[in-house]
Amino acid sequence: MANTGPESQTILVVGGGIAGITAAVEVAETGYDVILLERDPSLGGRVTRFARYFPKLCHPTCGLEINYQRIKKNSQIKVITMATVAAVSGQRGNFTVTVETQPRHVNAKCTACGDCARATEMEVPNPFNYGLDRTRAAHLPHEHAFPMRYVIAPEAAANGEGEKMKAACKYGAIDLDEKPETFEIKVGAIIWATGWKPYDAAKITAYAYDLSPDIISNVEMERLAAHDGPTGGRILRPSDGEPAKRVALIQCAGSRDVNHLPYCSRICCLGSLKHAAYLREQYADAEADIYYIDIRAHDKLEAFYNRLKADPQVHFIKSKPGHIEIGDDGRPVIRGEHTLSREIYETPYDLVVLATGMEPTAAADYRPPVELIQDEYGFIVPDDGVDGGMIAAGVAGGPLDVSMSVQSATAAALKAIQAVRGV
Amino acid sequence: MAQSAPDTARKYDLGFARWVYENVEGGDKLSMCMQCGVCSGSCPIGTEMDHGPRKLFMMIRAGMKEAVLTSNTLWNCTKCYRCVVRCPRGVPVTYILGGLGTKAVEMGYVKTEDTVRFSKAFWWSAKTFGRTDERLVTSRYHFSGGFGEGVKKSLANLKIALGMFKAGRLHLGAPHKVKGTKNLQAILAKAQEIEERAGETER
Repeated sequence: MANTGPESQTILVVGGGIAGITAAVEVAETGYDVILLERDPSLGGRVTRFARYFPKLCHPTCGLEINYQRIKKNSQIKVITMATVAAVSGQRGNFTVTVETQPRHVNAKCTACGDCARATEMEVPNPFNYGLDRTRAAHLPHEHAFPMRYVIAPEAAANGEGEKMKAACKYGAIDLDEKPETFEIKVGAIIWATGWKPYDAAKITAYAYDLSPDIISNVEMERLAAHDGPTGGRILRPSDGEPAKRVALIQCAGSRDVNHLPYCSRICCLGSLKHAAYLREQYADAEADIYYIDIRAHDKLEAFYNRLKADPQVHFIKSKPGHIEIGDDGRPVIRGEHTLSREIYETPYDLVVLATGMEPTAAADYRPPVELIQDEYGFIVPDDGVDGGMIAAGVAGGPLDVSMSVQSATAAALKAIQAVRGV
Repeated sequence: MAQSAPDTARKYDLGFARWVYENVEGGDKLSMCMQCGVCSGSCPIGTEMDHGPRKLFMMIRAGMKEAVLTSNTLWNCTKCYRCVVRCPRGVPVTYILGGLGTKAVEMGYVKTEDTVRFSKAFWWSAKTFGRTDERLVTSRYHFSGGFGEGVKKSLANLKIALGMFKAGRLHLGAPHKVKGTKNLQAILAKAQEIEERAGETER
């Protein structure tokens, strides 16, 4: 390399999900300065929206809380929320990154008391619950938010509601005039931890996602089962609020499909097994039917699969359904072929959960503004191979579950340290 | 292994799958099939088929040549293309069923199948007029199995015919034609010539 050495040893982490958080704390605890950027108002990404993890069914809040403590205790980590990377120039050891932030309209004086939310009647769709419910125009992103600070919807800041919120705030924490900002930072390496978004279930037209509120996606099922979700953790039919007792879980909804996502997202099988476990925990008389092509429960995860297989009220049906129609009583009816018996079935359900896959954010709604090596699906090749200055972590680099994302992020942290040390 | 089991050797032709991959239209994509069942589950008349496409494709892999080429799945397909649109592996199911049907006729596996006779009557009308004339197609099909059967089938369908007539769905008089049936026939003759030429080079 022509340059004599890195001009900056600061490491930039783009994306504050489980991979980005992990990479940031690992790097900082080794003694390097880190800037962690997150597009949302709060860290935690997809993981903070899960009700529980497989296979131990523990709550993600636990692991996230430990990580938030690590961030708080470490002065070398700077977290910037509501921020995206707008431009990148330079090379390993000497990147100039343009960061763009969106206004939160709430500054660091906020104590999360909630007076601003109580001052308004205005509601907006709740992005934390994937739009399953609505929230006040001034709200805490969720009860476990980090930073623990309210956010005001841009449409509310602009109309009279914003003034009401500002008047209600005892701490002078509301700034309705805040504008989007752009600034430059110098860093030595960049870890792209841009993660994933759930594949849009509405694109699988044969599965009628748009035609019934009782046909939901797997990430929405997580919110129904979460104690801080729209139903307080009870699995209820979105249409009428009745308990969902007959539930279908459809695997590979839009995955391993040349018309949608051609690859296997690796997590959905275990995710649906977990959903069956949620259901069976809640209702003694509930039954779950899992429609599958093949169950991909790797290594130690097979024990979880075997546990569910032993439950006589969880049925495994080897079939990728043809389509879903809405029956005369308004319930979704699944039609398809039992591939083991060659019978055609038409079965009505209270609730249908489509196990949609992971679409890389870097190929969907946020494309990094720099040339990266991406595979044919848009996942970033983990080590960019050009000069080693840009590394992918977590699902940005390929479909992974949480524990594998954490491993990937730890590996990325080491690569980034090597990059800024000029190794 | 085949030598030690002569009975199964007759029933199972182990080279059949390879032959289908290489000789049947769309067959080269058949190896992509992952047996998920979307095709049979989507089929609007799947319950009218003895096997349905997914099972038929497994039978091809198993080498069940005779059972495949005599299956009614080839003939009951309505060519709606729902399976082709939905197949997650891009297998052209409809083409393969059609291609297998063509081969089954060529190889003499199909003689009396009802749907074959119907297909022939349909093709006759399409070729002659450029249109399908319900009345002529139906009667040609009814009488294709002999005069006695023709009378019996026609009488059995009389009620439907009258209903269609009342609804203005069955027209009497000269059959509808496209403009320039001569040109149509010239096109078809040329197509047949090309196909035969292609067949020769294959051989």
